Amino acid sequence: MGLADARAMIPTLAVADEDPNADLTLLDEIADWAERYTPLVARGSDGLMLDITGCAHLFGGEEALLADCLARLLTQGFLARGAIADTPGAAWAIARFAETGVTGPGAALPVLASLPVAALRLEAETVSALNRVGLKRIGQIVDAPRAPLAARFGSLLLRRLDQALGREEEAIDPRRPPPVFIAERRFAEPIAREEDVSAALTSLAATLAASLERHGEGARRLEYALFRVDGAVTRITVGATRPLRSPKLILALFREKFASFGDDLDAGFGFDMARLSAAATAPADPLQTDLIGDGDPAADIAGLVDRIGARLGEDRVTALVEHPTHIPERAESFVPQAALAGQPRAAAPPPDSALRPLRLFAHPEPIVVTAEIPDGPPAQFRWRRALYRVIRAEGPERIAAEWWNGIGPTRDYFRVEDEAGRRFWLYRDGLFSEAAEPQWYVHGLFA
Amino acid sequence: MSDVVAFTPPRDGDKDPPPAPAYVELAVTTNYSFLRGASHPEEMVLQAAALGMPGMAVADRNTVAGVVRAYVQANILNEQTPELKFKYAAGCRLAFRDGTPDVLAWPTDRAAWGRLCRLLTAGNRRAPKGECYLDLADLMEWGRGLVLGVMPAARLDAALRATLVKLAAAFPGDVRLMANFTYAGEDRRRLAALARLAAEIGVPLMATNDVHYHHPDRRPLQDVVTCIREKTTLRDAGFRLAASAERHLKPPAEMARLFKRYPDALAETLRVLGQIEFSLGDLRYHYPEESTAGFANPNEALAYFAFAGAKFRYPDGIPDRVRIKLDEELAIIAGREYAPYFLTVYDIVRFARDERKILCQGRGSAANSVVCYCLGITEVDPHHADLLFERFISPNRNEPPDIDVDFEHERREEVMQYIYNKYSRERAGIAATVITYRTRSAIRDVGKVFGLSEDSVGALASTTWGWSSEGVRDADVTRAGLDPAERTLKMVLTLCRDLIGFPRHLSQHVGGFVMTNDRLDETVPVMNAAMEDRTHVEWDKDDLDAVGMMKVDVLALGMLSCIRRALDFIAAKYGEKLTLDTIPKEDPAVYAMLGRADSVGVFQVESRAQMSMLPRLKPKKFYDLVIEVAIVRPGPIQGDMVHPYLRRREGSEPVDYPSPSPEHGPANELRAILERTLGVPLFQEQAMKIAMDAAEFTAAEADGLRRAMATFRRNGTIGNYRTRMIERMTARGYDRDFAERCFHQIEGFGDYGFPESHAASFALLVYASAWIKTHYPDVFCAALLNAQPMGFYAPAQIVRDAERHGVVALPPDVNHSDWDCTLEPLPVGGTGKLHHLHGEMAGDIRTRHAVRLGLRQIKSTREDDVTGALMPRRGRGYDSVRDLWLRTGLHRAAIEHLADGDAFRSLGLDRRDALWAARGEGALKAKDRLPLFDVAERADIRNEPDFALPPMLPGEHVVHDYRYLSLSLKAHPLSFLRPELAARHIVTAEILRDTPGGRRVTVSGLVITRQRPGTANGVIFMTLEDETDIANIIVWPKTYERYRPVVLGSRLVSVTGKVQSQKGVVHVVADLIVDLSPLLARLSADASDLSALARADEVARPGEDQRGAHRHPRNVRFFVDDKAGATHAVMPKGRNFH
Repeated sequence: MGLADARAMIPTLAVADEDPNADLTLLDEIADWAERYTPLVARGSDGLMLDITGCAHLFGGEEALLADCLARLLTQGFLARGAIADTPGAAWAIARFAETGVTGPGAALPVLASLPVAALRLEAETVSALNRVGLKRIGQIVDAPRAPLAARFGSLLLRRLDQALGREEEAIDPRRPPPVFIAERRFAEPIAREEDVSAALTSLAATLAASLERHGEGARRLEYALFRVDGAVTRITVGATRPLRSPKLILALFREKFASFGDDLDAGFGFDMARLSAAATAPADPLQTDLIGDGDPAADIAGLVDRIGARLGEDRVTALVEHPTHIPERAESFVPQAALAGQPRAAAPPPDSALRPLRLFAHPEPIVVTAEIPDGPPAQFRWRRALYRVIRAEGPERIAAEWWNGIGPTRDYFRVEDEAGRRFWLYRDGLFSEAAEPQWYVHGLFA
Repeated sequence: MSDVVAFTPPRDGDKDPPPAPAYVELAVTTNYSFLRGASHPEEMVLQAAALGMPGMAVADRNTVAGVVRAYVQANILNEQTPELKFKYAAGCRLAFRDGTPDVLAWPTDRAAWGRLCRLLTAGNRRAPKGECYLDLADLMEWGRGLVLGVMPAARLDAALRATLVKLAAAFPGDVRLMANFTYAGEDRRRLAALARLAAEIGVPLMATNDVHYHHPDRRPLQDVVTCIREKTTLRDAGFRLAASAERHLKPPAEMARLFKRYPDALAETLRVLGQIEFSLGDLRYHYPEESTAGFANPNEALAYFAFAGAKFRYPDGIPDRVRIKLDEELAIIAGREYAPYFLTVYDIVRFARDERKILCQGRGSAANSVVCYCLGITEVDPHHADLLFERFISPNRNEPPDIDVDFEHERREEVMQYIYNKYSRERAGIAATVITYRTRSAIRDVGKVFGLSEDSVGALASTTWGWSSEGVRDADVTRAGLDPAERTLKMVLTLCRDLIGFPRHLSQHVGGFVMTNDRLDETVPVMNAAMEDRTHVEWDKDDLDAVGMMKVDVLALGMLSCIRRALDFIAAKYGEKLTLDTIPKEDPAVYAMLGRADSVGVFQVESRAQMSMLPRLKPKKFYDLVIEVAIVRPGPIQGDMVHPYLRRREGSEPVDYPSPSPEHGPANELRAILERTLGVPLFQEQAMKIAMDAAEFTAAEADGLRRAMATFRRNGTIGNYRTRMIERMTARGYDRDFAERCFHQIEGFGDYGFPESHAASFALLVYASAWIKTHYPDVFCAALLNAQPMGFYAPAQIVRDAERHGVVALPPDVNHSDWDCTLEPLPVGGTGKLHHLHGEMAGDIRTRHAVRLGLRQIKSTREDDVTGALMPRRGRGYDSVRDLWLRTGLHRAAIEHLADGDAFRSLGLDRRDALWAARGEGALKAKDRLPLFDVAERADIRNEPDFALPPMLPGEHVVHDYRYLSLSLKAHPLSFLRPELAARHIVTAEILRDTPGGRRVTVSGLVITRQRPGTANGVIFMTLEDETDIANIIVWPKTYERYRPVVLGSRLVSVTGKVQSQKGVVHVVADLIVDLSPLLARLSADASDLSALARADEVARPGEDQRGAHRHPRNVRFFVDDKAGATHAVMPKGRNFH
């Protein structure tokens, strides 16, 4: 069914784009987690395959392992199905098409026989062709003559059948760990003191730096994870404006963070494992690898931004950014430096930008003005109790409110110069067609 | 629809009105500068006049697409208020690609207009569709006679001076420097600089406001279209939007204030307007003269061909009436100089019919003239049935002749290429169609501009069904889960309503050709179409009409292909040689069949609405068909004319004629107009005639009304005529109610105008197709299937209907079928059975053949494979799948498709066996095969062990038939489910016929069609089909809202409701609708499919949550056998109509 048809049926239908990459990423994360059961975890497109040979006894047997695994997944919010069987093929089929659970040695055949042929991990075309000739259940082909089947549906069909039934060996293909940079330490005795935590970090940073350097990468985001004995995990994250790998700089960043933690770092009964990982990396600037180090002025600013940010919060370090709007006071604003990283700092100015004052008041100040109706320039005006006589004026520059943000008056801006050569930026807030007596303001000074 | 500014003359009451400063706006960008302007051309004209400007010029960006609309509006204005003498000029704003500043161009005379068109054509033709690439060099080539206004950019630059110098030298006296007030802060300095520049180069300065919308209130819409054009949102558009709302038409007094230091710049606008002598009214259309060759003049040529044709039409001598009528018409044609038009159409028809043997038929106001009948353009015989109350354009009406010609849809392209070749691309082009915003597109674009999420936009857009132009109603918004009072949404909806009707781009008309004797591209610019080798002009049919240019619609009609195929079958199989003209007339059997609403497949009268109308109207003669075709249309329905007509026809209401008071005219003044339709106006011509006779419209007024009617939706000018017509009629003593209904009807025609002349031509095809269906249902069935896709019904219904008329339908078979459906001798002992409902037709049906379905009916089968390999190598037949594979060399997949279609029965193989065999032959690819080995291979009987395939159950065969053939000759799917349905107290559709009205019943069936006619207030008509008959369901809007997903999404439903019976038309008014689609899974269930059965059983417990959310999560099945879904997906989705 197409989206348009579905929407016609249910106009309030909530629609989300399929994101296969996100799904796979999630599956990868679950696979990471699943390595607690066995190092041999393979990820398919829609599930995981664990080779638990020799592992089950650690969890109290196969039934217990499966129950533990599914229960843990459920508490994490995943509805999962799982099956344990002699062969990967049988486990795959049962997990998807039959009552789940543990199928004992040699017991797969009767279960498989009742399942649809799709349970054999076949291409959709093969499944459809089998169905069309009436071969819908695995039982119908288990003992059938093999040659006619192979001729019509390919040898893969028989291979899958044999694999499921254990007539042919099949090994799973464990996923390779993705190239992320991780340094880990397990402690024989849980640590709790801050010095120990820092010391661990120092050694991890050195290890991590070495592996980053080998790959020519630098860390943009670092995570220091402390695994508490009771299972809770404390994670401390720092960001870097420029990719970095110097242990010294890494330590410096974390120290700012530790400082802000103060006594809040709750070690409970102690940490039994620490892991420093580079969550995001970028090719590292080769300049940074020179012998003296720290010689780059831009690196100083970046370092400063990082350090202040780590101490006071990344959002507190801001930069001035231009915005493409006609409304003068909104044409620039402060934006967190972190949000700007890697982007140009200023949008291109408007092609025909009119002159803007050197100093723009945060709050325009009301003035009393004598001017020709409807849109003549001010002849004189009174501001903060002083009278100014205008001898030169230019304008109006007419700026209407952004109607989609709300109705507002249209402003007429004038650049004026008084007898003393002072230049002001004045505006009338509203046209005479919009308001009976529009108020005037001074909005800035040119000199 | 956007508001239209009403024109109000300057008030006299004001004391001492200051002398209006003289100013006209000549730089007006309308919304025909696609997504650049925010007002319709008509609005601009009205506003300019309202502001007291004595004239205006439209200058759109590199196009003249909008100039005619403004011209028409200006004419209406001058007609209403002649004292205004509003002078409208057509121009164009030239935007260059080489850095030259924009130049406004106003042609001063006809020749200059021609050059402007050539200039734009050159730019259009070298650019992709929708673009126009111009360089200054083009203007230098074509600029003579144009007044040129150079438009400076906001910042003055060197390019401006260079352009001015160059143009001033090339076109002395014709160049102006445009001065506008930018409100960017430095206008005084800028104006002074412009004035200096103008003086230095010696060109006059001319004031303008560079107008983009007619009123400052349109600024939001202007910003929205800018964002749409720039594909951005309001938030991100930044400096691409204007800072203020100043680009509107400003009153001359305000312009005078802004330009008070430059009064000459203001006065210059009037001088330029005075200099322009060209008006679009000067475009004199010249008919092509090709067809006159060999005669002294076109009139002589036309008379010669007409009388020659008459002799052919009336071999026994031309009847006097016809001769007199012919003379009359020829005189009118000669008087209006229309002869070349008729000759041109005659030439096209002659080419199609005589040279290419393409079936064609004309329609339209002029098409029903005796001249057209004699020329063979139409087949409606005026002598045989002198039926049309007015057969021809009236000499005192200013309507250009209008002839549309329908051709067989598969062969129209031949005709189009003939026209291009004969007249060349300089002289022939296709008319444009203006693609305008409708509700859905407006919501989409405006929503995006406001940054609404895809979801919200999609939800809003999906609340409208079809092509609505009425905007989204608040109720729909609420239903979509959004709050119509929310600020942003409110703005979106308001702006959408304004945007609806705005032109988005130009496209080519479906077949409207315009041909000229001189160069077409000197009358209107020509541009590239999306289709390769197609070009079209910048004006649409209304524009062409307004400037008096001739257009011939070369249209494609599927039914003509069907009829041609049917006539060929009849000639070949039954030896009866017929043409549209010689099909026996007024055959009572045909009318008897139609009167029973037995009209599946018949042209125009097969829809649900028509089927309900037929038994009430009971057509008895040809003219009844004309009425039948015209009556189920928005015009008569909106005018509430249908029921009065039916009552009068049934004799339950006296026939009388609305009349004026005695002092105003004879009581029977409408009798002549309304006599044929029993005093009730049904046709567009009648409504127009009433306006002229009863409301005493002048010819010019009627002309205006006709135009307003055609453009009703677009500019709403029809409102001007409402009061005039209703008031004048009541003033003359007519019933107000009648007057209002007449006007409503005219409004209804506005959308889908349906004149009697069209209805008559269509009625002829109704009769022809009905005649074939009556006497040769086998032929009709085969021809219809071969002309698919067309019409209202799917092949399954067409075949079923034929079977009920005693036709034997045979399945597609590799040894018997061609690509198309064919007729073959009846199989031994296999005669069809006439359904008792059609029993009375027994004597009329002449069928002696069976319909053999073509292999085209099998999904995924390719015509090349069948006609190129399978048919030519068939010889005496294939004796095995292997034999077929070896001899045809078809790819394995192609043979599998044939097997899936169960086309190997003649070999004793059902689809399962055939598929098994076909897949066994796949080892060798056809192209790797050496002929040398064929014999050897054939001898090789491979020693394959036997393989016992499970037999296929009949129900599953039917499912597969539907899957691969979209129909089944074996059984109806519901016949297998009947015990189950009976257990649910569901009755068969057949029973309904004998069920008294008011009784509550439950019926079920496959959903064949859903229809929501625009005129039925949101009522949905569903058609269900079970193994016995068709059931007609009415779903009221309230019920629809409750069951919307079921109505739109199910393949098999049961409907419970009250039976409503009227004149043999039985409906069930639904109050409960249940989706039974999962039941279909049972058809393919076999012993091993227990899970599928279990799922289907869940239907038995509606109301219970079927998704299993309440079950324990461990037991949720992710990969349950989805046969239930798969099976019902095989059944037709049902066709939707609006």
